[in-house]
Amino acid sequence: LLSGLRNLVGSKALSADDVRPALEKMKEQLIGKNVAADIADKLCESIRTKLEGRVLGTFTTIASTVKETLYDSCVQILSPHRRVNILRDAMEAKQQHRPYTIVFCGVNGVGKSTNLAKVTFWLVENGFRVLIAACDTFRAGAVEQLRTHTRKLNALHPPQDHNGVQMVQLYEKGYGKDAASIAMEAINFARDTRIDVVLVDTAGRMQDNEPLMRALAKLITVNQPDLVLFVGEALVGNEAVDQLVKFNQALADNSDRREPRLIDGILLTKFDTIDDKVGAAISMTYVTGQPVVFVGTGQTYTDLRNLNAKAVVSALLKG
Amino acid sequence: MVLADLGRKITTALRSLSTATVINEEVLNAMLKEICAALLEADVNIKLVKKLRENVRAVIDFEEMAAGLNKRRMIQSAVFKQLVKLVDPGVKAWQPTKGKCNVIMFVGLQGSGKTTTCTKLAYYYQKKNWKSCLVCADTFRAGAFDQVKQNATKARIPFYGSYTEPDPVVIAQEGVTKFKDEGFEIIIVDTSGRHKQEESLFEEMLQVSNAVTPDNVVFVMDATIGQACESQARAFGEKVDVASVIITKLDGHAKGGGALSAVAATGSPIIFIGTGEHIDDFEPFKVQPFISKLLGMGDIEGLIDK
Ligand SMILES: Nc1nc2c(ncn2[C@@H]2O[C@H](COP(=O)(O)OP(=O)(O)OP(=O)(O)O)[C@@H](O)[C@H]2O)c(=O)[nH]1
Ligand SMILES: Nc1nc2c(ncn2[C@@H]2O[C@H](COP(=O)(O)OP(=O)(O)OP(=O)(O)O)[C@@H](O)[C@H]2O)c(=O)[nH]1
Ligand SMILES: [Mg+2]
Ligand SMILES: [Mg+2]
Repeated sequence: LLSGLRNLVGSKALSADDVRPALEKMKEQLIGKNVAADIADKLCESIRTKLEGRVLGTFTTIASTVKETLYDSCVQILSPHRRVNILRDAMEAKQQHRPYTIVFCGVNGVGKSTNLAKVTFWLVENGFRVLIAACDTFRAGAVEQLRTHTRKLNALHPPQDHNGVQMVQLYEKGYGKDAASIAMEAINFARDTRIDVVLVDTAGRMQDNEPLMRALAKLITVNQPDLVLFVGEALVGNEAVDQLVKFNQALADNSDRREPRLIDGILLTKFDTIDDKVGAAISMTYVTGQPVVFVGTGQTYTDLRNLNAKAVVSALLKG
Repeated sequence: MVLADLGRKITTALRSLSTATVINEEVLNAMLKEICAALLEADVNIKLVKKLRENVRAVIDFEEMAAGLNKRRMIQSAVFKQLVKLVDPGVKAWQPTKGKCNVIMFVGLQGSGKTTTCTKLAYYYQKKNWKSCLVCADTFRAGAFDQVKQNATKARIPFYGSYTEPDPVVIAQEGVTKFKDEGFEIIIVDTSGRHKQEESLFEEMLQVSNAVTPDNVVFVMDATIGQACESQARAFGEKVDVASVIITKLDGHAKGGGALSAVAATGSPIIFIGTGEHIDDFEPFKVQPFISKLLGMGDIEGLIDK
């Protein structure tokens, strides 16, 4: 009974010692929900700073105060300061008679090509013509994978439904070629043939593989896409932090501009495979400060969503 | 070296025992806290980390311990034992039989590296003069058959698949029967990526397994995975008879600890690790040498057997 009462701090100001046990518990919960350990640490530290010295109302417990504060912090982390509005920007580019370009990058097997196909579907549903640039010239079957998607997407949106226009085209030069040049040719081709959007698929690469990271930076510097999307899977653990830091670092290091192009947004995939272990969303947005532009929730073309920050945080904090 | 970060941190924590003047509850707790933090940073499953801490605590009882007992050694040995338990399920790894037909079926989450690893394994045995081949029973993923075809062609490995047959069970059965008739020794069946939340995909996996009755089901796990590994691995193991684990993408910086929970969850040993995208970026895995290398110790067997 006594310890229960002690938890109901009356008018005394909170000390670091008061909040530590509740924060330790929260940190453990965050890690269990797949937030990177380092980020969970920093988050709890910021909550401690926020709460220290605060005076709680009579029947408010420390645990509930910690939880509420953490809830707000997490929602804030997930809520972008900057909105990425692809449909609006693509429309604007169209009016300027230039193709709107998105580059998809990330480590191996996270879902770049599949989600590129989903984004294509979404753009076509919104009336845009899309050119898919097959710039993964390394992984076996990468080109055929995109060709299959192109065929299926055109079957779903046949020319007869679009004034005889073929909505999706593939730009490919087979394997072994320089990805940056293919992307450039594709963008020029789109400009010449009045295609609205170019989606550039790139090969998966580990963030520590310097030659491959340099090649990606070159592709982005040379082509200056409108949007650089980092594709990361919701399954990833602590590695999420290292991936994002090093992708950004490689883009910065290998740029010849004063304002290098960095990651503009995140596409979070395989969200359907993690139950309530939603922590990767927090890790990725915390590190980059960039918004989750899309969430991949399955393997079909319609499995693409916006992030629901409140739902994610509720899952995160649910005991 | 794989998991080098983790190894360094654990070794540092253990060393704190040697520098402490007295070994008491406090020293032990501090050391365990450090080790657990290191394990969590390496993505090791949180439940396994908690269990590890409890198990070490259970062995060490300061009040009961007779004076003069070497507490340092007892604690070190307890930690070693628990670490070994993380990677060693205590069952012998499956081995193919020469001159016989060995069917190996690959399963795992989407994008974990199954198709790439199938070719690596076939190539590994082919180089050792086993008659090896591949069957592509992934009819779902766009370009899946082309991927197998290109990989296999490059490595000169016979393969079977279809552009038109939509049923993976049919292809798997046809392919395995054909290669069995032709006297192949290592027949590797690649399947689509899947996850426990989609029951129909799990059902399909079971049907493929029933159709080809594999001698070894390999669960392929990506080294970057975090806390979601455990429940997925367990679900795969409950649906089909997983007997081995292969961890991929251990090149570069990968933490790898998340994937380790697949060992406990399936009760199966890690047999190989993948360390790159190329066909020979592939190494056999052995528990004891791995742990001693991890902790920078020459011989830990002495410690463990005591
Ligand atoms: N369950 C689920 N699976 C997905 C999702 N997105 C992609 N996948 C699957 O993940 C696997 C890998 O997808 P890809 O698109 O080939 O991945 P990638 O990043 O292009 O791979 P590489 O080019 O080889 O690096 C495929 O089996 C996809 O169907 C998703 O949101 N949910
Ligand atoms: N760096 C690295 N990449 C790997 C390794 N193993 C596989 N990959 C890459 O991971 C990506 C996915 O590999 P796949 O073999 O297509 O994976 P999968 O499990 O067959 O994918 P699905 O069939 O879609 O479920 C590809 O880009 C591979 O090149 C590895 O050990 N290291
Ligand atoms: Mg791809
Ligand atoms: Mg595959």
